[in-house]
Amino acid sequence: MPASTSGRTGRRECGAVVPAVSVEHLSKSYGDSVAVREVSFEVQKGEVFALLGPNGAGKTTTVEILEGFRDRSGGRVHTLGVDPADHSTQRWLRTRIGVVLQELAVEPYYSVRQVLTRNAGYYPHPRSVEEVIELIGLAEKADDRVKRLSGGQQRRLDVGLGIIGNPDLLFLDEPTTGLDPSGRRETWDLIRRLAAGGTTVLLTTHYMDEVEALADRVAVLFGQEIVASGTPSSIGGRDIGAVTVRFRLPEGVTVASLPVPAELSDGGHVEIHTEDEVRVLHDLTGWALDEGHALQGLSVLRISLEDIYLGLTQGAASRRAEGSDTAEPGQGVGQ
Amino acid sequence: MSSTDLPVKGSFRGVSDVPLVARQVRFEQLSFWLNPIGAALTIGFSVVFVVIFESTSRHSTVNYLPINLGQYYVPAFAAYGVMAACFNILAINMVNRREMGLLKRLRLSPLPTWMLLAAIFINWMIIAIIQVVLVLLLGRLGYAVHGPHDVGLFVLMLIVGMLSFTAMGVGISTVVPNADAAGPIVSLVFFILVALSGLYFPVKAGSGLATFTGFFPIRHLILGLVDTFNGIPGTSPWNDLLVIAAWGVVGAFVSLRRWDWSPKRG
Repeated sequence: MPASTSGRTGRRECGAVVPAVSVEHLSKSYGDSVAVREVSFEVQKGEVFALLGPNGAGKTTTVEILEGFRDRSGGRVHTLGVDPADHSTQRWLRTRIGVVLQELAVEPYYSVRQVLTRNAGYYPHPRSVEEVIELIGLAEKADDRVKRLSGGQQRRLDVGLGIIGNPDLLFLDEPTTGLDPSGRRETWDLIRRLAAGGTTVLLTTHYMDEVEALADRVAVLFGQEIVASGTPSSIGGRDIGAVTVRFRLPEGVTVASLPVPAELSDGGHVEIHTEDEVRVLHDLTGWALDEGHALQGLSVLRISLEDIYLGLTQGAASRRAEGSDTAEPGQGVGQ
Repeated sequence: MSSTDLPVKGSFRGVSDVPLVARQVRFEQLSFWLNPIGAALTIGFSVVFVVIFESTSRHSTVNYLPINLGQYYVPAFAAYGVMAACFNILAINMVNRREMGLLKRLRLSPLPTWMLLAAIFINWMIIAIIQVVLVLLLGRLGYAVHGPHDVGLFVLMLIVGMLSFTAMGVGISTVVPNADAAGPIVSLVFFILVALSGLYFPVKAGSGLATFTGFFPIRHLILGLVDTFNGIPGTSPWNDLLVIAAWGVVGAFVSLRRWDWSPKRG
């Protein structure tokens, strides 16, 4: 887990590094309706942290509380070391954060350059407008009016407005929703470059591939609470669960003659499901060498993040439906 | 750790904020003028109506008004310019900004709320002043309409009018549920009251219509500007000022109570 302490806001309190984001037992209710329930997590400086969950899970509400846009009902929250609900430090805080909203929000009559220039003036140490135009790939559209840009180009401009202030912490609320595949890849590349430069990134998404491509750590929000968290490769026990060993059945060999129990799948492939892949591979490759068989297309497939996600969310939904929801609030945080 | 890493408290930085307000006003103005059709319609409406009414009836009189209609329409349409800019267009503009998420984006920037609201007010005040100046110049140069008779009271009436109608414009924008409803709701209220309050034809004092529209600020701004422009004896612009200011306080109260940065999408 990366935990860079060399960011520009590497402040220390009593010798300890202050995390970029600290959330403890965060709750938010609107009357009887619970929007966020006992959520806890930390985001270290320089980290890319993803909040993954379906619509209505509480991702945007959580992020808006961290930005200081929405007040909380309970719990403790610190963003870059200050309480985002504290009005006395909000102006300072907003010079250090960047925000990309879930929906487009750009004035239609300004040109790309004009709207970036306007927003750059709000910050004490902004990036240069020309640099941002290059970063978001809108150099050829710099003098076009916003209303003449395509949806994907407007989305990229939105990202540009998020980074124009040269933020220490960037909030990205579903940043690639509405982008075509190449636009998504370009946005991912941009996020990676920002992260490599020391910017802490907190993104919400419901795309598994986005989490796998970008996030150092991920928390799954479901039913207004965190049901699991960890790295994308280990969340939900993904790194220790069953794997599938797959290869094409050699000519003249039957499934029954293989050294380990296996089953034949479509297309002449053999699949072996096991939690002990080392032993299985040892037995299988030893047999193949001894017998002189090639194991064409040999691969080891781990359970996908999507499978883990669906298992976590369906499990939580089932427990809730049965009234025996045993998920610890904020469980697994920081695992 | 440098001192710049420490949180700075407060949303007001004194004199150093003044250039930032001026800069925001410049971008508000740029946004207005970048839509030339919208700008022309906003600015031109009062000018066109002054031309129409002055050309057709400037020498006409009505028996309950001590001035001819030429002297009436110029200050009346100056009042219209203030109300259209600071109430009607501003309210629709604010609803559109809110529903497009533009207010939310600005809220999440370091631009303090007070600075944004100050820039919005100054922006619409500039547009209102442009209309007033155009109408007065057109009246003087085109139709030999002279005034204002009492410059100080006339300007005071304009300032209180701009402040109060801005507060009311922001206030009504907070009760409009979505962008589609903004134009119909705001304009319906505005244009009906403007017509009934005597913009297009003077309403006789003491009539039922005058009594009814006397509860609203529109008639008082029209009368206040007409009276101070012409120096009509026996009138009470202070009463008009008081009513306009009271409505401004109501508008400010509603604005503060119901203000929302997020889209309502109702």
